[in-house]
Amino acid sequence: MKAGRLAAGLALFVVGLAAAAPAQELSASFGAGGFFPSDGAYREIYGSSLSFAGDLWLKLKGPVGFAAGFGRISDKGVAAPSSSDGTEAFPLEFRRTSIPLIVFYQIEAGPVAIRLGAGAGIHSYRETWQTVDLDFRGHKTSPRIVLAVSAAVIKRVSFFCSGSFESIRTGESSLPDVSINLGGFQVLGGLAFRVF
Amino acid sequence: MRHSGSVLPVILVCGLVIAAGLPVASSETSGSAATTRSVARGRDGSLALIRIAKTPALRVQVLTRLQIDVRQELTTCLLAYADRNDIDLLRRNGVRFTVLDRDAARREFLVVGIAAPGALASLRAAGHAAAVEPSTAVFWTEEGSALEAVPAGLPRKAFPSRSVLPYVRMRPEPAPAPSVSVAQDPLVETIVSLVSSSNLAADVQMLQDFQTRYASTTNCEAAGEALFAAFSALGLDNVRFEQFTFSGSYTSRNVVAEKRGETYPGDVFIVCSHYDSTSPSRLTLAPGADDNASGTAAVLEAARVLAPYPLDYTVRFIAFSAEEWGLWGSRAYASLARLGGQPILGVINLDMIGYADAMPEDLQIIVNGNSTWLADLFLAAGAHYGVVGATKTVDQSFVYSDHSPFWDNGYPALLAIEDNPLTNPYYHRTTDTLDTLNIDFLTSATRASVGLLAELAQPIKAGYPRTPVGLYAELSVYRSLFNSLHTVRLHWTAQTDATSYNIYRTNTPHLGYVKINTMPVTGTSFSDTNAGSDPTFSYAVTAVGPAGLESNRSRDAQWVIYLDGLATAPASIRAPSNVPIFGFPVLRGIR
Repeated sequence: MKAGRLAAGLALFVVGLAAAAPAQELSASFGAGGFFPSDGAYREIYGSSLSFAGDLWLKLKGPVGFAAGFGRISDKGVAAPSSSDGTEAFPLEFRRTSIPLIVFYQIEAGPVAIRLGAGAGIHSYRETWQTVDLDFRGHKTSPRIVLAVSAAVIKRVSFFCSGSFESIRTGESSLPDVSINLGGFQVLGGLAFRVF
Repeated sequence: MRHSGSVLPVILVCGLVIAAGLPVASSETSGSAATTRSVARGRDGSLALIRIAKTPALRVQVLTRLQIDVRQELTTCLLAYADRNDIDLLRRNGVRFTVLDRDAARREFLVVGIAAPGALASLRAAGHAAAVEPSTAVFWTEEGSALEAVPAGLPRKAFPSRSVLPYVRMRPEPAPAPSVSVAQDPLVETIVSLVSSSNLAADVQMLQDFQTRYASTTNCEAAGEALFAAFSALGLDNVRFEQFTFSGSYTSRNVVAEKRGETYPGDVFIVCSHYDSTSPSRLTLAPGADDNASGTAAVLEAARVLAPYPLDYTVRFIAFSAEEWGLWGSRAYASLARLGGQPILGVINLDMIGYADAMPEDLQIIVNGNSTWLADLFLAAGAHYGVVGATKTVDQSFVYSDHSPFWDNGYPALLAIEDNPLTNPYYHRTTDTLDTLNIDFLTSATRASVGLLAELAQPIKAGYPRTPVGLYAELSVYRSLFNSLHTVRLHWTAQTDATSYNIYRTNTPHLGYVKINTMPVTGTSFSDTNAGSDPTFSYAVTAVGPAGLESNRSRDAQWVIYLDGLATAPASIRAPSNVPIFGFPVLRGIR
């Protein structure tokens, strides 16, 4: 899968940076949470979605660092009839795979680390009608901002939570003159492991 | 860039004209029609007759929005009345037109066929004539009746009394029709086999024996009485005269009879002809065996062979009068039918189907863009039942027979005629008599016509389930984020003698129905989720009985989508495939 290869490549890139740069800290975070779409049509069809993500956080000497990762949103919905006549149900499936690339600023307060980041997300998405032969695939890059907080639990393990916001204007829609925005607010919680 | 010396004065004159606020017509060149360029100068309220070119850029919606009074649609142009305001609006909207006459308010205009050598010259000798197409002219006179001034022998037609714009469809060339064939239907075969050569010959002789049937003569009225008696003797329903006035103070009568349909009595197919005749000695001798005792004999024979059989649809048999005067009978009939909102589903006009200049002779089937399906079915029926060759011609400009008023009123209609252009040397002569006809050809042409009529009207077969009724369709559009799906949900009324139903769909109006259900449908509704793949579609349902016998097809249900908000007549879906249907007002309807 293209996105997976890209994520692995980026992870290797970050690890390489860590090896080559005067890195201070490298950690990996894994989380699950919810995605709250900003587009009304998206909410109408899919509602809020479950999301999963994994990131590598490379903090350089000083408060600045880079992060790259892999995120996945998937959900099931039902095609919406355009009028009250529609009485049938056409199940849908939507998947979005994202590669976030972030520059962050880290503030530390004892065992708690707060990271403020901004960057871009590279997205690949696919919407499939389950019972009829309709399918749509697309790619988009969008701006992304993120706030992540981690609190150390034991030596290398921290609780981790993050919130991010993206605006992904696709320029496409089933309606004329409308652009679906696949972005929204995403909240994740999980664990972070400090590699060094 | 240097202007030539001859251009400058023209520019200056145009500048002065524009500065004076005078309307200027566009500079399209169109033969003699282009000789009149300015319009409606002088008194207010003056009216011009204009020719609007059917260019690819022309949009009917624009003409509709501007409320242009279009009185005749031809193959390459529209003929319309326009006042100064209309002229100005047309010019501002980039519509290409030429002015034919500036004083149209007090004129009677005729469309005249000028295919014959010297026709245009003879027209111009009789009055004013402007060639609007290679084979078509508009004719008028300064004083008196244009109808009486037009030279004998030239086909002519008066403008309809109302605008034909609601029925003008600026379609591109019709899409190629699917391969059409008619199924081997033993009952239709039986009906067709009843067509009798001797009956046809006898009916032609009967009409010829009136000496003349020129409308306005008592002989013509007597011929009408004979047709009335013949229809009545067959036990047809609602046999009647329909009287009309023509050319000022004359009156004549159409003779109408019908075989009432049992499933769809309100929906009508018409087979018609004109029974009047003409010749240079028209008041005393106009036998009109080919023109048009032949067509009228075919209508009588169709009535005779169909009368005993129950049909799904109503078939109306009409013998029009005063066709030779300018289609007066059919104009009156079609206009009233439209005003009364009559659902006429198709018209078969038989005019001159008995003369064969060569054997094997073939029939010419002439249709407009809205009636091509009818011609395709005729060709299939001709091959199957009539054993007669037929050639389809889409020619909006062939307006010189009784099918034309039906076109003017938005009804699908075909003309069946032996040759176009005509080759009968006895045409409109006192020598147009039975002995010049080829009865075998007349019989084949009649059989093809009856075969088509029976296919359309659907004889009800004993022991088969009844034809489903009450079919209607609901269009639903479902959308995801990036795709939309158009589904058509069909509903119909249950038939007590049916165990299941089959669903048929076509993307070409009335032709090429294909069964779309893979399993028998046992309920009375069905959803087609593939409807959005093509923008034009209609549906029909059949009932299947316990023994597996399948009924006739129901009347079709079509979807009506108003893309521009201006169309008023129900039609099939006409959404360009690159325009998403979703987002336009969608009206639920049945054709």
